[in-house]
Amino acid sequence: MSEQPKAAADQLAVDMRQITKIWPGVVANDHVNFSVRKGEIHALVGENGAGKTTLMNILYGLIKPTSGEIFNNGAPAQIHSPRDAIGLGIGMVHQHFMLIPVMTVGENITLGYEPVTQGDFYDKARARQQIAELTRRYGLTLDPDARTGDLPVGLQQRVEIVKTLYRGADILILDEPTAVLRPQETDELFGVLRGLVQGGKTIIFITHKLREVMAISDRITVMRRGQVVGHLVTSETSEQEIARMMVGRDVLLRVEKSEAKVGPVALKVDHLVAESDRGVAALRDVSFEVHQGEILGIAGVEGNGQSELVEVLAGTRSSTGGQVLLGDRDITNLGARAIRSAGVSHIPEDRRGAGLILNYSVADNLVLGRQRSARFTWRGIVLRLQAILNWAKRLIQAFDIRTPSPEAAARTLSGGNQQKIIVAREMSGEPRVLLAAQPTRGVDIGAIEFIHRRIVEQRDAGAAVLLVSAELDEIRSLADRIAVMYEGRIVSIEPAGTSEARLGLLMTGGGREERAAG
Amino acid sequence: MNFILQLLHLFVSGDFWQLALRNAALLSLPALGGVICERSGVVNIAMEGMMLTGAFFAVVAAQAWHNAFFAVLVAAIASGLMALIHAVVSIRFHADQIISGIAINIGAIGLTTFLNAKLTNFQGLPQVDPAARLPQVTIPLLSSIPFFGEVLFQQNIMVYVAIALLVLGNVLLFRTRLGLRLRAVGEHPQAADTAGINVYRLRYGAVIMSGLLSGLSGAFLSIGIAYIFNDNMTGGRGYIALAAMIFGKWTPWGAFGACVIFGLGDALAASSGTLNVTQYFYILQMAPYILVLIVLAGLVGRSTPPAADGVPYIPEAE
Amino acid sequence: MTAPTAPPQQQEDVARPNFTGWVRRAANAMAVPAGSVIFAILIGAVIFAISGNDPVLAYQAMACGGFGLFCFGGETPALQIANTIFFLTPLILAGLSVAFAFRAGLFNIGVQGQLIVGAILSAIVGIRLGNWPAIVLIPLVLLVGIIGGAAWAGIAGVLKAMTGAHEVVTTIMLNYIAYNLLKFLVVNGPMQAPNSSAISLPVSQNAQLPTFIPADSTFFGQPGGVYHVDWGLLIALAGAVIFFFIMRRMALGYEIRAVGQSQRAARYAGVSVRRTIIVTMLISGAFAGLTGAIMISGGSLHYLYADLANDSTGFDGIAVALLGLNSAIGVVLSAILFGALHAGGSVMQSDAQISSRIVQILQAVILFSLAANFLRSLKLRLPGPGRKVAEASGEEAVQNEFQAEVSSAATDIEGKA
Repeated sequence: MSEQPKAAADQLAVDMRQITKIWPGVVANDHVNFSVRKGEIHALVGENGAGKTTLMNILYGLIKPTSGEIFNNGAPAQIHSPRDAIGLGIGMVHQHFMLIPVMTVGENITLGYEPVTQGDFYDKARARQQIAELTRRYGLTLDPDARTGDLPVGLQQRVEIVKTLYRGADILILDEPTAVLRPQETDELFGVLRGLVQGGKTIIFITHKLREVMAISDRITVMRRGQVVGHLVTSETSEQEIARMMVGRDVLLRVEKSEAKVGPVALKVDHLVAESDRGVAALRDVSFEVHQGEILGIAGVEGNGQSELVEVLAGTRSSTGGQVLLGDRDITNLGARAIRSAGVSHIPEDRRGAGLILNYSVADNLVLGRQRSARFTWRGIVLRLQAILNWAKRLIQAFDIRTPSPEAAARTLSGGNQQKIIVAREMSGEPRVLLAAQPTRGVDIGAIEFIHRRIVEQRDAGAAVLLVSAELDEIRSLADRIAVMYEGRIVSIEPAGTSEARLGLLMTGGGREERAAG
Repeated sequence: MNFILQLLHLFVSGDFWQLALRNAALLSLPALGGVICERSGVVNIAMEGMMLTGAFFAVVAAQAWHNAFFAVLVAAIASGLMALIHAVVSIRFHADQIISGIAINIGAIGLTTFLNAKLTNFQGLPQVDPAARLPQVTIPLLSSIPFFGEVLFQQNIMVYVAIALLVLGNVLLFRTRLGLRLRAVGEHPQAADTAGINVYRLRYGAVIMSGLLSGLSGAFLSIGIAYIFNDNMTGGRGYIALAAMIFGKWTPWGAFGACVIFGLGDALAASSGTLNVTQYFYILQMAPYILVLIVLAGLVGRSTPPAADGVPYIPEAE
Repeated sequence: MTAPTAPPQQQEDVARPNFTGWVRRAANAMAVPAGSVIFAILIGAVIFAISGNDPVLAYQAMACGGFGLFCFGGETPALQIANTIFFLTPLILAGLSVAFAFRAGLFNIGVQGQLIVGAILSAIVGIRLGNWPAIVLIPLVLLVGIIGGAAWAGIAGVLKAMTGAHEVVTTIMLNYIAYNLLKFLVVNGPMQAPNSSAISLPVSQNAQLPTFIPADSTFFGQPGGVYHVDWGLLIALAGAVIFFFIMRRMALGYEIRAVGQSQRAARYAGVSVRRTIIVTMLISGAFAGLTGAIMISGGSLHYLYADLANDSTGFDGIAVALLGLNSAIGVVLSAILFGALHAGGSVMQSDAQISSRIVQILQAVILFSLAANFLRSLKLRLPGPGRKVAEASGEEAVQNEFQAEVSSAATDIEGKA
């Protein structure tokens, strides 16, 4: 743990000392010391659950610390609510946007600080004028009358940023800002941030993406399990060192696996076309094959159609064109139940929303999707409770799901164990095809390794595995072949071992000339 | 065929439309209250109970002080208190707002009937004396216009109050800063909170406002129309106002439009004297409700309430 | 941070149904409704005292009317119990109707209308086919009642499934259409009995549910005809068993509850949400229609009457369902309570000179404390709700925490045999 000598107090835009926050049963922040110099971009780094967001929520007045002090520009600060924080010039852009989709950009930006004319009438004209001035000063562009819900994610984030500027923020906190952005949007964001710093602002940047930390930050604070484990200067450190601090040991990025024993084609996708929820084209023309005994990874920045692809293959979304063949059987648009009984298992992206019913017991969740099968019901009508229970006990043991009883509500389990329920369920039916979408998102390291090993096991048992992940490392370590998706199409299928650089290029739409030539 | 002719006669008579507008105004007050309340994110199905409470206390106050306007004030306060209960239970205790609403409706019937029996020793409150009734207002000159004069300019004072409140409510909701914040709270309370807006205060205010408006409506019913209090006299009108609010897509004028449809139905019922009550009368009575069903099925389709409607706001996030 | 694991419990041997474990969980879940009732009783005592009545006397009268205990006004206890049974029988079915829909996340406020439609069809069959033998006629009468209620609710179900029309609005509309249909038939209409006003002919003897106490006997000093305890009670209880069976032992129930919990998860599990909504409303309406059938075939009147439109059974069913936490056994217990309150209220009015409407005030207090209590206990148990505001689409935007807690409480009560 390296300690940096504290700069003079008044050079510190923010100085948080001995901040502790205790929830019943959990210590979210444990005597955290965190300081940021004026005019710098400071990265706050750590795994999911390290306490970074909690710390920043305390700074922004959303949460009251159990103990500790905060200093702002050298003076002690009492921050009891966001309004206090805003008064001190602290603004926050949350990971999940605090925007109201049905209202306009202008209304969202001015919310709480609205200009009014006599009699409390909202002064739309003045708002527009003020916003135009701000956007011009910092080199952003926004249409104040646009309906916020219609904007692409990158622009919505921009609304959030202008919102903080509108309130006079000098210190901006950004919580995982690039999680929802495409690569060029990320570049645009970085440009904006640099512009803001030149304009005298200070930036705190919460992230767990090490590449970005190296690219944009000046100094780094690393957190793990509620404690600060290190202060680093970006120019003097490396991704590996940061990662080691985050996790506490050398990170194993590769899974042990043998050569794939590839069999005949199990799943064939032919010119698939589908729309997203908004009615926009999500899949434009997708074609590929997955063989038995192989893992095909789908790499790509979120939002390029991967989610919709998995949904179509799983049967929870209809396609508007093209074909899906399981072996030689056409399963296009057959519906989730038929597709599942044909042997396609699905680990969904949205664990808590789709993959589990939190108020159901662990046992009930372990048969979710198979509630009509002959194994668990008498003629698809009456449930066989004993069979369900036996099945549950077997899976709980085989997949090491930590729960006091099969009857416990799924909601009482940790995130990792909840994911294990889904993984156990989907892998246990000896599927012919396994669709795994973001299978280790939000899961702790131990469970990640476990799940990875199981996926490889499935492959070796002859299943065809389609792995969709936003984590390039996960794809590169597991996949036998890597397909890259960009704007609703498969732009290339690369062999395992392809360099990150090449994949990154393909993921952002480049590299195609090379392929055409090669 | 005689019946059809009589019906047509009815539809061109000023009397009939005057009645319809009056009924519409009666319903639109609680409907407006519902719009405001739900726009702030609190579900309110207790208009029925609050209206009944207002009706009762209006008569009691009228009997005691022989002054219509004071009686209206008392009614509004009584309903406001009822609404306060709903607000506290829903906002402070994060209770299920539908249950709370139903509890109010049940409780209001119990309370008003109980007090009615208690105060009058089971005799029931007498008719409201003329001094304490809400007056009819005839606007000079304009009321002489054929047909429209009777319909629009010879109404009970509360009708004008209702229209004025509708205009006010619309402006408030969609043009003022307060309305903007109110709607923000109903759509995304967390966003409003982080913008420094006091979610609780706005919601309390909205719920109490809906109580006041329902109370006004109850007073209108008991001392402006019926001139008496009968047990459970609102007869489901609060639920109709609820339906009107949903049907009107949570906007004041939309709700009013629905209230006009229902008001027509009520007017038809009241006009049963002038029509030979033939067999088909009750079938005709179904018309407004069937109409709502058809429109809901076809045109309106998905009713989308404010996004955070019915969700207690619990701020401390992990 | 990793979420805390569940508090340590012993590893239960669930190979065989664990009775004591079930009792413990059920008792836990029922603690809050029971607490609400006790709280209401206390509040009631305060109201009685304030309004100058003797609370002890009042409750004694209620106990007499409700359960035949401590009677002091010369009432026959057996008759009081019979009256309670008379009131609670339709309440069970009405409560089951509402509860069934609630489990799917649907608010069926149209039970009264569905009940009326069921009653109408039952009456028609019971009158027109009056000389058919009872062994065929009675089941037929009940059946058409079921079908009528199911169809009426089905309209709202289809509208919701196909167009997203809000079921609160559609069922309210259907209520009023049903009221008018009733009045059309019975007020100077085709079904009005000659020389009477606003009532229909009674259904024939063959269509009437047999009573337990024959009319021409004497029971506890009263003529048998005064007791209105008939097979309707058994039918209602059978209904509760069927409710339980569907919800907990059938794949359909699993799917219905899944839709009520999370439509997205249900879709993932291959459930057709639309179909489930329709089926749920059909079954819910079936219970409501059966209620109407029993009110005609059983009960005391055996004929349709216009004032059925003002009957409160449908709305009482909502309170019964909520207090019963939307579970079968809860509804039965809750119906017993409400039935006792209803019966007790009238004795209280005659014996203690207190308006029976105090009962409604007590009902309201029960519901309030039920609603508020739940979430208070919820806050104590979980470490900070930490709920993010609605991010998903508006339709299923939020899982109301209360509903979540209710459903898990309902689950606890129903047991995991």
